[in-house]
Amino acid sequence: MPKLIHYRERCIGCNACVEIDYDHWRMSRKDGKAVLIGGIEKKGVFQLDVRPEDIETCKQVVKACPVRVIKLEGK
Amino acid sequence: MSKYGKIEVMAPAGSKEAMAAAIKAGADSVYFGVEQLNMRARQTNNFLLEDLPEVAKLCDENGVKSYITLNTIIYDHDISLMKKIVDGAKAAGITAVIASDLAVMNYCRKVGMELHISTQSNVTNIETIEMFSSYADVMVMARELTLKQVGDIVKQIEREDIRGPKGELVQIEIFAHGALCMAVSGKCYLSLHSDNASANRGACVQNCRFKYEVKDENGNELEIDNEYIMSAKDLCTIEFLDQILDAGVRVLKIEGRGRAADYVYTTTQCYREAVDSIQEGTYTPEKIAVWRERLSTVYNRGFWDGYYMGQKMGEWSKSYGSVATTRKIYIGKSMKYFEQVGVGEFRMDSHDIKKGDKVLIIGPTTGLVEAIAEEIRLDNGQVVEKAVKGDTITFKVSEKVRPSDKLYKVVSENA
Repeated sequence: MPKLIHYRERCIGCNACVEIDYDHWRMSRKDGKAVLIGGIEKKGVFQLDVRPEDIETCKQVVKACPVRVIKLEGK
Repeated sequence: MSKYGKIEVMAPAGSKEAMAAAIKAGADSVYFGVEQLNMRARQTNNFLLEDLPEVAKLCDENGVKSYITLNTIIYDHDISLMKKIVDGAKAAGITAVIASDLAVMNYCRKVGMELHISTQSNVTNIETIEMFSSYADVMVMARELTLKQVGDIVKQIEREDIRGPKGELVQIEIFAHGALCMAVSGKCYLSLHSDNASANRGACVQNCRFKYEVKDENGNELEIDNEYIMSAKDLCTIEFLDQILDAGVRVLKIEGRGRAADYVYTTTQCYREAVDSIQEGTYTPEKIAVWRERLSTVYNRGFWDGYYMGQKMGEWSKSYGSVATTRKIYIGKSMKYFEQVGVGEFRMDSHDIKKGDKVLIIGPTTGLVEAIAEEIRLDNGQVVEKAVKGDTITFKVSEKVRPSDKLYKVVSENA
C-alpha cells in the first residue's frame, strides 16, 4: 500500500497541498500548518495509507510542496 | 549627542549565535523570525514561541531593542498563530513587530503592540506613510527609492507633523547593507512560478541568483557578457553613510537573517563604528577604506550603492554565491575555558591549525570571539607549530568561550 508521509514540523503553511488535494489535506487553524487527514503520528511525522487510484493526485502534492516535507513511499 | 540624535543600527539574527554576535558587535536592535510566518520560513533555525521570554531578557539586559519579523502574507489559517506570536511578543516584552499584512497591523493596534512597517509593504510615498502612521511608528522605505526621495519624505513628515501611535514623528528606516532583490520587494513571483515556492511566504528559492541563457524562439542564443542576468550585487552604503544620515534616516537595517554569526558580527561592527565616527566628526576616507575591506571579507556578491544614488540599471553579480575574500572552515569544538589564565581548550575534529592562524569561536551564548592561535599546546603540555584532527589543544582566548562552541579558522579565499 502506498503511503503519504508528512514531516509536519518544517511545514510553512502555504496551503499548496490543500489546493490540490482537499480530500487528504486541510489547514490547521491552531498552528497554521497543514494536517494530513487521518494520518497517524510517530515522533512528529505523520503517515497515511492511500488508495492506488489516489496516487496521481498525491504525486502532484509531493511536487507542489515548496519545502519538500511531503513524501510518497511504496507502490 | 550630534546633530543627528540617536541613530539605530539594526542587525539580523537568524540564529541564537547571530543574535549574540550582533549584540556583541554593538547593534542597537536585532530582528528575527518566529515559527513559520516570516520571510525566512525555509530556514530551520527560526526562533520558537517559547524562546521569546529568553530573547527579550537577553536583549533587555544588553539595552538592545528586539523586533519580530511577522511579514509574510497571512491567510485565514494563519490568524491564530499570528495572534499567538503578537500576544507572546507583548507578554515577553519584545519591542515591536515588523509586518506587511494588514491583518497583523490591525491586531497589533488592537492589543497595543508596537508595529513597524516591513519592506514587503514597499512604502514609496508620503500618503502611504500618513496612512500607516495610525498603526506604525517606524517604516522602512522600499529599497528602490533614491536617497533624495527618502530625504524629501523625511522633510514632509516633519512639515506635516506625521506622528505614529507613540506620539512621536514617524521614523524612517532604510536598508544599509546586504542582499538586494531584483524585483520590488514583495512583488516577485519567480520562485512561485518555478517551484511553487512563494517568496512572500518566506519560501523563495532565489531564482534570481542562478545563471541564465537567453534564447529566442528559434533556439538562437543571445550572447551576453554576464549570465547572472538577475543577480544584483549586494548593497553597501558605508561610503556615503553621512549622506544617508543627512537625509534624515534614523534607523539603518543590515540585511541577512540567512547569514552566519561572523557575517553579522563584521557588518554590524563596521556600521556601528561608521555611525559613531559620523556622530563624532571623524568619518574619513581612510576609515571608509578599512571598513570596506573588512566588509568584503564576509559573504558578499560584490558591492554597489543600490538605487540610492539615482536611477540606473542594476549592477549584476558575476558569479554564484559569495565573492568574500575570506572564508571560515570548521575545525573543532570548544571543551573548556580556563578563566584565570584566559585559555581555551578545544578538540580538533577536522583539518588542522597552525601557529598564527586567525580563528573564530562561535556559539549561541558566546556569539563570536576572534583570536589568533599564538601558542598552541597539546594536552601533554607540548607547544606545537601545528595540530591536527584528533588532537586536544589549548591556546589563549581573550574572552570566555563555552563548551560546544564551534571553532573555525579563517582562511584567505585566494590561498
